[in-house]
Amino acid sequence: MGPLRSFADWLDSRTGFRAGRSHLLDEQLPAGIGWWFVTGSILLLLLGVQLITGVVLAMYYVPSPEHAYDSVRFIADRLPLGRIVRGLHFFGASFIVIAAVIHMLRVVLFGSYKQPREVTWMTGVVLLLVILGFALTGYLLPWDQKAYWATTVTINIARSTPVFGEQVAGVMRGGADLGALTLLRWYAAHVFLLPAALIGFVVAHIYLMRRHGISGPIVEVPGEARPFYPYHAAKDTIAMAIVFALLLTFAVSFRVPLDSIADPSDATYVPRPEWYFLSLFQLLKYFPGPLEPVATIVIPGLVVGGLLLLPFLDRGAGRHPRQRRLVAAAFVLLGTGVVTLTYLGFKDSPTHADPSHWGVLALAGREFAQDQRCQTCHRIGGTANPIADTRVKRDIEWLRLHVTDPEIIAPGTRKPPPGGMTQSQGRAVASYMHKIRGGTMAPPIDGEHKTAILVYGRFCGNCHMIDGEGVKQGPDLTRAGEKRDAKWLREWISDPAAIDDLADMPAFNDRLTDEELTAIANYLAARK
Amino acid sequence: MCPGESVPTADRGRRRFLSGTIAVIQGAIGATLAFLLGGAVVSPAFGRKRSTWWPAAALDDLPDNEPTPIAIRVTREDGYSQVVERQVVFLVKTGATDVTALSSTCTHLGCRVSWNADQQALKCPCHGGVFDRTGAVKAGPPPKPLARLATRVDGEQVLIEL
Repeated sequence: MGPLRSFADWLDSRTGFRAGRSHLLDEQLPAGIGWWFVTGSILLLLLGVQLITGVVLAMYYVPSPEHAYDSVRFIADRLPLGRIVRGLHFFGASFIVIAAVIHMLRVVLFGSYKQPREVTWMTGVVLLLVILGFALTGYLLPWDQKAYWATTVTINIARSTPVFGEQVAGVMRGGADLGALTLLRWYAAHVFLLPAALIGFVVAHIYLMRRHGISGPIVEVPGEARPFYPYHAAKDTIAMAIVFALLLTFAVSFRVPLDSIADPSDATYVPRPEWYFLSLFQLLKYFPGPLEPVATIVIPGLVVGGLLLLPFLDRGAGRHPRQRRLVAAAFVLLGTGVVTLTYLGFKDSPTHADPSHWGVLALAGREFAQDQRCQTCHRIGGTANPIADTRVKRDIEWLRLHVTDPEIIAPGTRKPPPGGMTQSQGRAVASYMHKIRGGTMAPPIDGEHKTAILVYGRFCGNCHMIDGEGVKQGPDLTRAGEKRDAKWLREWISDPAAIDDLADMPAFNDRLTDEELTAIANYLAARK
Repeated sequence: MCPGESVPTADRGRRRFLSGTIAVIQGAIGATLAFLLGGAVVSPAFGRKRSTWWPAAALDDLPDNEPTPIAIRVTREDGYSQVVERQVVFLVKTGATDVTALSSTCTHLGCRVSWNADQQALKCPCHGGVFDRTGAVKAGPPPKPLARLATRVDGEQVLIEL
């Protein structure tokens, strides 16, 4: 007898671990259970992956509006392997929702919820809700635009609760406004409350599954019962390996999206929830005004209530779907409804500006920020950090004033930049700072394109908008080239009054060189 | 009952094959996760510290052969954020264009040393460590000389690497 064996014997005599292992692995399973019965193990694997990747992410994540975004950006961009760990956690969430639904449909199809397994089924429904709770609380955490605005919508939905709406929303926010307290309580729910609930209910679910044995095939298959290990465990393991490989492929191949940082003052952002909530979101559109609670409370409430009570509503002994036509019809209806609404939701989704796309104002801002005047202070060893290394935490207005009129921000400490700066230049620098916080690299620009962008940043941006940035005083120039050609634009910019007596726009022939006039006219004419 | 007991011999081989397959696959999943997660946990500990050349003083401003304390504002990465620190180094001009930079951190327990002009020594206020102008230990408990930092003279400007 080797030393390992004698150690195991000693450990067994003190702990009884062999009996425990045998209890776990040697359960006799009926003949004929095939691949249908691997869905629970897949869920167990995915939940385990979420738990451990979550712990690692928690080592780097900071739940505060000040730091959350930067800490997520750090995980995604600078932490070795961080991008993949975040990918596993992010895509893992979607995988779990899909796996949970498949598991539930398998149970429904096989009639496995029937007596005596009613409570097993009910713990399963609670687990589905816990999983959706994870998904909901999880996507506020990165504190980007999507997080902020999708959560705003979620909380507004909670407000439509009859009678206690305001109170429910208040508790979800943790205060009057969505902010630091909201983020902290959603974080606490995501990392303490929900995992505790998840583990508790998973243990109960598996305990009950073992207590009643698995339901097995609908029609008994002749043959000998065989132990779970290794016969069924091998099927479980192969299925787990396939799903894990798929999840890893997703995590390695796709970047997890991260919008620009949450901006509560941005009224232009149209929020869209994750795909698994899209059907609910879409449903809201069909119940406007006072009917809203139908979509937010009544229908989801009926679905959840119906699911919980399913074993009591369907008490017949027959397990075959043909003997349960009503249940089958209800699930087909529910499934079709969810799929259709999700599809319509996708079709309705607005195309979001790509966060890595550099607008013309941000590009101009980069040129201004590299100006010698900024580098008087913003340089290595200077009184302030080089601009490319500066993380601005203040709002865009502060930044604009810091650049154009420092007297307002800190009287007496710094002179306004020599030669002055236009409002538009300030806005351009602010836009640039916002972009670099998002961690994207600016594309190189040169030649006439660069000249045009600098002209826009210095002058045009004071009154005109391009791609949603600038000032809405004059016409939007995003598609200026659709109506006018370069020749006309050049003449107009040089001296608008020569074309139209009543033109509000000032003449620029005395402020721009010939080369600059040509550059900006060609640039605008090319915008179609 | 141990797994494997009272099983017909014909089935033994199949059982063994399945058990092996399970062990290999689950081991592979576990090892992949351990590599990814362990890597993400451990890697920051082995990240190389990035150093930069910081302008410290003008060559003409330094007296000959006398340690001069210079405060440098250093920006350093701290995880997802940046911190700005004031670091003090002693610059000693040892020739027309030769400058030595000494760390002001005592090698004993990390207190800040200061230049005592009367005694012509760098003294530590905590446990009486004494260093000379080259950073060598003259008295007290410090186990090794003050750390030297790389220096470079660029025209009139003295740069040090931190």
